[in-house]
Amino acid sequence: MNELALKDLLYKLADDQLILGHRNSEWTGFGPILEEDIAFSSMAQDKIGHSLAFYTLLHELGEADPDTVAFTRNAGQFHNNQLVELPNGEYDFSLIRHFLYDNAEIIRFEMLSNSSYEPIAKVATKLKGEVKYHVLHANTWIKNLGSSTEEAILRLQSSLNEALPYALGMFEKSKYEQELIEAGVYGGEEAVKAEWLQRIQAVLEKTELKLPDLASIEPKFGGRYGEHTEHLQPLLDEMAEVFKIDPTAEW
Amino acid sequence: MYGGGNVFEATKFDDLQTEDPAKLAEFEARIARGEKIEPTDWMPQLYRKQLIRMIEQHAHSEIIGALPEGTWITRAPGFRRKMAQMAKVQDEVGHAQLLYSAAETLGKSREQMLTDLINGKSKYSNVFNYPAFTWADSNIISWLIDAGAIVNQMANAKGSYGPYSRALERICAEEAFHLKYGHDAVVHLATGTPKQREMVQAALNRWWPPIMTFFGPSDKMSTHTETLMRWKVKMASNDDCRQQFLDMYVPKIWELGLTVPDPNLKKNAETGQWEYTEPDWDEFKRVINGDGPCNAERLAVRRTAEERGAWVRHALLNPKAKYVRPLA
Amino acid sequence: MSLKSLDPRVTRLHLPDGEVPPMEEKPALDQFETYEAFHQKKESTPHAYAGPVHAPNEDVAFLFAKEQYSRRFPCVSLWVVRTENIQVTPYANDGENVYDILRVEAPATQSEQPEPYEIFHLKKRGKAHTHVGRVVATSYQEALQEAKNQFGDKAPIVNVWVVKSKDVLQSAEDDKDMWATTPDKKYREAIAYKVMDKITKYKEENKNTPA
Repeated sequence: MNELALKDLLYKLADDQLILGHRNSEWTGFGPILEEDIAFSSMAQDKIGHSLAFYTLLHELGEADPDTVAFTRNAGQFHNNQLVELPNGEYDFSLIRHFLYDNAEIIRFEMLSNSSYEPIAKVATKLKGEVKYHVLHANTWIKNLGSSTEEAILRLQSSLNEALPYALGMFEKSKYEQELIEAGVYGGEEAVKAEWLQRIQAVLEKTELKLPDLASIEPKFGGRYGEHTEHLQPLLDEMAEVFKIDPTAEW
Repeated sequence: MYGGGNVFEATKFDDLQTEDPAKLAEFEARIARGEKIEPTDWMPQLYRKQLIRMIEQHAHSEIIGALPEGTWITRAPGFRRKMAQMAKVQDEVGHAQLLYSAAETLGKSREQMLTDLINGKSKYSNVFNYPAFTWADSNIISWLIDAGAIVNQMANAKGSYGPYSRALERICAEEAFHLKYGHDAVVHLATGTPKQREMVQAALNRWWPPIMTFFGPSDKMSTHTETLMRWKVKMASNDDCRQQFLDMYVPKIWELGLTVPDPNLKKNAETGQWEYTEPDWDEFKRVINGDGPCNAERLAVRRTAEERGAWVRHALLNPKAKYVRPLA
Repeated sequence: MSLKSLDPRVTRLHLPDGEVPPMEEKPALDQFETYEAFHQKKESTPHAYAGPVHAPNEDVAFLFAKEQYSRRFPCVSLWVVRTENIQVTPYANDGENVYDILRVEAPATQSEQPEPYEIFHLKKRGKAHTHVGRVVATSYQEALQEAKNQFGDKAPIVNVWVVKSKDVLQSAEDDKDMWATTPDKKYREAIAYKVMDKITKYKEENKNTPA
């Protein structure tokens, strides 16, 4: 297998989770109810843990150690999709993002647990249960809030409309897409997207939220190859602020 | 049999003279036997009132205490610290949840407790009105404030109220992680680069005065205090807790070559007691009453979280729901 | 002027400026109802009481209980029950058997068909209730009587909780993998932090330097 293709896949998986994990961690202490603060924090820890697992695989393929890779690159070197880097907004936006992201993430993990590249398959199989719970969490909240008060429905609908172009950006294809599919490493973005659409539709159908016509939406691509919104670099600076006081120090 | 949470009518009196002497004797005998009091047992009003006050303040201290270290969540250096910092702050929120529940079993609703916190009617631990300027401040809090909390909580876990003890047992187990994590982080700084040492010493200098006030001023012994000690509500004197803390942690600070910023701090070999510069209790009172560096921010954050989350809670409100107190 | 915070997360919240009037009292049920959670640490041990959560319904209560009560240490199963649906006996003294002092009242309501009830015992005040088994009955009172017959000899028993089985939301067999990795999350255990070596090394290197 072409190592560049593998690394390309691992970077996007790891970077997505690292950035979303940081965003989710911002909720601790600020959530709508104490119990939800706790839940969001667990998911944030899981995401950061997942990114670490994939950076570790990258390290085994010769990339720098996880801390260096995660905390010393600049935005132009990040492969995450733009959805995960957007600021948290209010709870409706964070929830919609969590719903759109994790429903795709679980499909990636299911595919990857059957990957022909064994190290990835092992990691995905092991961590799949955590993502499954993240999906349960997101879907339960969407079903509950999506058919509740007018305000809640309005807020979620507006966040959904705002997030969708970025969410479609999650499915930006790799330079090595065909190669990864043919080698049985990964099922590819088309397949993830098709399945994702079915799954989110099945949830949204149980609510009063409407999925806009996706054909009319221009996906926000570019994140996979270093094109990011103005929000990513300040977040990266923040993440690395202490680390960069002395990157050679042990913290 | 009764449904979960069926309870008592509160009375306005906490004068023991008004309590039923037979029930009071039975209650005191139970505590003297070392048994726990459970929510539906008869208890004197004074016991109920003091416990609510104590557990509620403890809960507020946890939820507000999540904020100084929360300051460094997104900036924690490296994976290991990042995940631990997140888990640590998460635990504080979790502790608040457990403690609010324990207080609820005594009859004060979480709604009322949160309202009282935000409107300044009930207090929380004063130390959290101080800022965490650097990452090292956060580590000093994780280590030494949590160490202080453990001294306090280990004592209180042996108290007489079942739900509070149960909550504290779990809290102490989690605090053991906080303490070790905090110590680990401080040790890394103290044995690290000159810059790191400088950071941690500066943080210790900033936090030492608040730490010394953490256990509160010396207790004034009164009949009231004696009653609460007999009822195992108050388990140890403030000074005893402070001495125990100094005994356990000053040597650990010194072995790292750090300086405790109190030239008078020493252990008197004859009395076995630590001597120290009396903390500035005037400042302590001033800060408790609202005039600390972070009081306004702490409460504004809490209030904003409550207000911005209101639509979520409102959306899921089930008008047919019936609130009953947690059972234990 | 906005509050200037040291916390970038707080800065991004854009807290309101200036003096604000006191917050209105929170309305009743702002924090929802309460649910009680029970967790099972391994297959061979019974479900034990973990604690309450506030939640709008049992699905959300399950999510909350999962994080609040099973994010540490092994867990294979989780139950949640609305507090209102748990019937409680009085508490006996430690060492006693509550069934002996209990006067089981006539049932207030009775179902036509017998249905299963879950029984929980507390062995000692201050400890946690644990699940002892299931009985079939047409009312809480009958269930309690039945529990006394079946489990009443396991004294000391200081308190009993009785719940209709249908009121218990139980995690499914399929849900087990949600906890599969919990024991691996060592970063939140005290045991993961070992610094003696560093301290010893530091002391060794600095023994001739006055502090």
